[in-house]
Amino acid sequence: MTGLGYAVDAVAVWLSGSPAPGWIAVTVAVLLVWVAPLLAIIFPVAALGQIVERKVAAAIQRRHGPNSASLEGPLRFGFRVLLCFLPRATQDRAFQRFLKLPVVRSLLPMLQKLGIGQLAADGIKMLGKEDIVPRGADGAVFRLAPYLALTGAFLPFCVVPFAHHLVMLEVSVGALYVIAVSGVTVLALLMAGWGSGNKFSMLGGMRAVAQLVSYEIPVGLAVAGVVLWSGTMDLHAIVAQQYRPGVFTFVGWNLVQSPFLAALAGVFFLAGLAECQRTPFDMAEAESELVSGFNTEYSGLRWGLFALAEYTEMLLIGALFATLFLGGYQSPIGEQWIVGLHPLLATLLHLGIFVVKFLASLFLMVWIRWTLPRYRVDQVMRLCWLTLVPICLVAVFGLAVQLVLAGGTEAGTAYGRLAALPRPALGVLGHLLGWAVPVLLLGVLVRIARRRHGGMHPALRQLTGGGS
Amino acid sequence: MTIEAITLGGERMQLNMGPHHPATHGVLRIRVESDGEIVSSCIPDHGYLHRSIEKIGECIEWPMFVPYTDRVDYVCAMNANLAYCVAVEKLLNTDPATAVVVPRRAECIRVLVAELNRISSHLIAVGAMAMDVGAYTPFLHGIAQREHVNDIFEKLCGQRLTYNYVTVGGVAFDLHETASEEIASFLNQFEKEMVRFNKLITTNTIFRDRCANLAVVTAAEAIAWGLVGPNLRGSGVDWDLRRDEPYGLYGELGVRVPKGERYAGRKGAVGDCYDRYIVRLLEIQESVRLCREVLKLLPPAAAKANDPIGGHQADVSKVLKRPPKGFVHCRTEAPRGEMGYFLVSDGTKVPYRVRVRTGSFSAAGIFHKVMRGIFLADVVAVIGSFDVVVPEIDR
Repeated sequence: MTGLGYAVDAVAVWLSGSPAPGWIAVTVAVLLVWVAPLLAIIFPVAALGQIVERKVAAAIQRRHGPNSASLEGPLRFGFRVLLCFLPRATQDRAFQRFLKLPVVRSLLPMLQKLGIGQLAADGIKMLGKEDIVPRGADGAVFRLAPYLALTGAFLPFCVVPFAHHLVMLEVSVGALYVIAVSGVTVLALLMAGWGSGNKFSMLGGMRAVAQLVSYEIPVGLAVAGVVLWSGTMDLHAIVAQQYRPGVFTFVGWNLVQSPFLAALAGVFFLAGLAECQRTPFDMAEAESELVSGFNTEYSGLRWGLFALAEYTEMLLIGALFATLFLGGYQSPIGEQWIVGLHPLLATLLHLGIFVVKFLASLFLMVWIRWTLPRYRVDQVMRLCWLTLVPICLVAVFGLAVQLVLAGGTEAGTAYGRLAALPRPALGVLGHLLGWAVPVLLLGVLVRIARRRHGGMHPALRQLTGGGS
Repeated sequence: MTIEAITLGGERMQLNMGPHHPATHGVLRIRVESDGEIVSSCIPDHGYLHRSIEKIGECIEWPMFVPYTDRVDYVCAMNANLAYCVAVEKLLNTDPATAVVVPRRAECIRVLVAELNRISSHLIAVGAMAMDVGAYTPFLHGIAQREHVNDIFEKLCGQRLTYNYVTVGGVAFDLHETASEEIASFLNQFEKEMVRFNKLITTNTIFRDRCANLAVVTAAEAIAWGLVGPNLRGSGVDWDLRRDEPYGLYGELGVRVPKGERYAGRKGAVGDCYDRYIVRLLEIQESVRLCREVLKLLPPAAAKANDPIGGHQADVSKVLKRPPKGFVHCRTEAPRGEMGYFLVSDGTKVPYRVRVRTGSFSAAGIFHKVMRGIFLADVVAVIGSFDVVVPEIDR
């Protein structure tokens, strides 16, 4: 049982006042100890994702992005609510005094420049919008879909370890659970598309189903590879197994353990992009074709829930990528010193590192979205079935062979042996050597493919600045 | 990409794209009949932006029609102005008594603004096509450059979209003193910017794969269906009015004409969407070169506005009151292809008939043919590649 499991028990006992609490007390305790803080972490970070998206998009497009929505209004509102027992004049005086605080005075314009005010404004706007259910829509299905989407995006977080033992459910089949539960999203998108009573939405919903069901396979195979490598489905154990003592902790990460795992990591990220409907795989909401597809007919809060679900899912892909391939919450350098710290401090540090890792993934996704065009439906399917799935199969097979040759543990593989050399620097050198061969091989393959393709037309070379 | 084999049969879905769909470039409505994702028929429905511009032409005096030509194609209003003014000059020149000689400086300025506007119009075309394929960023980078052109035009004539700048017999205002340097410095930074633009989207594999071998129009088909301008050249037909039927200063400049050459490589075909797209980019390059040439040829301004060398406006107020009887058809090369004006004059100060023939109109004519058997997602890409501007179709 995790440390937080004890906390749940303690709260439940305290709530019910008896040593054997009933299910109501346990449920309330779980809600209080786990769900509320998890929501409190995930949703603000997902909202932050929106700011990251808008700011990065602005930078890529050489705009400023949201920078002028004021934070004063929401703050004043907060003051009014907090101090509602005082007369209005006192509230205002307190607010004026608050604004004059040096910290506030220097921080507020900065936050405003970052677009945090826009976030508040957008949220309030969304709450105030009319909730429209179109005449031709299937009311119940239409109304239920956004909640289901959010559930599908949120539930997998239950088994993702945010720090050492900071995990809601330490189940032994965490990896399986994640894949199973995130499948709910497919249903949600289909319901939204079908229930809207709009042909564009319908097409979007159908595309979403075809795409998500297909891309579950590369995602599943990539996860299977990691499971094969670490011999466990428990995400916490997968993270723990990537721990290495010494300065260069990152040599233990699955990403650098084997070229096959690196290939799987790439596939996982791409298929993950497809799973959360991001460009270049945003078939379901293709704005220029389907006018945002499955969520065309949604407005107000329901639309907001879809947006939140999308960002939560992006965070999920980032979090899973970090967990499976980037050593989870562990620091890339000097993890052993962090472990040695006070547990609370270590937990906070781990939490911070984890957030940075999945924000980095988020940044990458945003970057890709605002740079690349969109695939066509058939190209998306072809990429999945004719490229990603074969790569996965070969990589998983190669991984299995590697494990068999090494006698079952990763320490026995060529990479493992090189990495386990007595001194950390030598270990890193060994890793680099182990990597050089496959990378060179890949380079040669790319070269051959390029030559077969026949090169660019001279006019294109001239357009991109090369000599004609 | 034509898919004939994969049809599931059964009921077909009727889908209305437009008139307010984000990718139909204005109020174009397309009636799509599709079998799942595969389009089985696609019929454009025009008329949502009809403003009776041709009828208006029969009610007002010759020079007063110029502002209306702005509205025929507001993405390249300079070229639209020019097309009408060249046509009226051709009419006036049918009689030696009313012949007009446009000052040389005005001819230079005309080429300059026409080519700058061709650049900005093609920027919209290629940017919007990238956006139709799903890449939002290139469009904004294109728009940013278009803003620079608009700044230049705003200094020139006070307007950013509908310029009303080219007049019968010249241009409305002379270049301001620093215009040449401004244009030259814009061209310099613009060339670098286009290299970045092309690296971002043009050679992108996804983009190329989306556009290659899509909506192929062979050279014979292009001629048979009356395609004009970049759409015609994209199909590999070597035809440009600026070179083959030169008007104004173009005869001296020696325009180099790009044409479709299967730029997408082995996956592509001559006359696919990618060829049309690349032809526009190459035309942008050519326009930059032409602008530089013209800046070298530009004679210094004279004191008198109607000076035959350094002036900017020939004296036409009298001859326009009493133009020769008869009719002319005059076509010029606008960014969207040949823009032809058919003018009938009964010898009065008001035209008897003004008829406009535009490039988008003929491009829209071929839609139903090339959009059979393609994917629904490609419908918008094909519209983008033909670069239709709806006011030009409807007028």
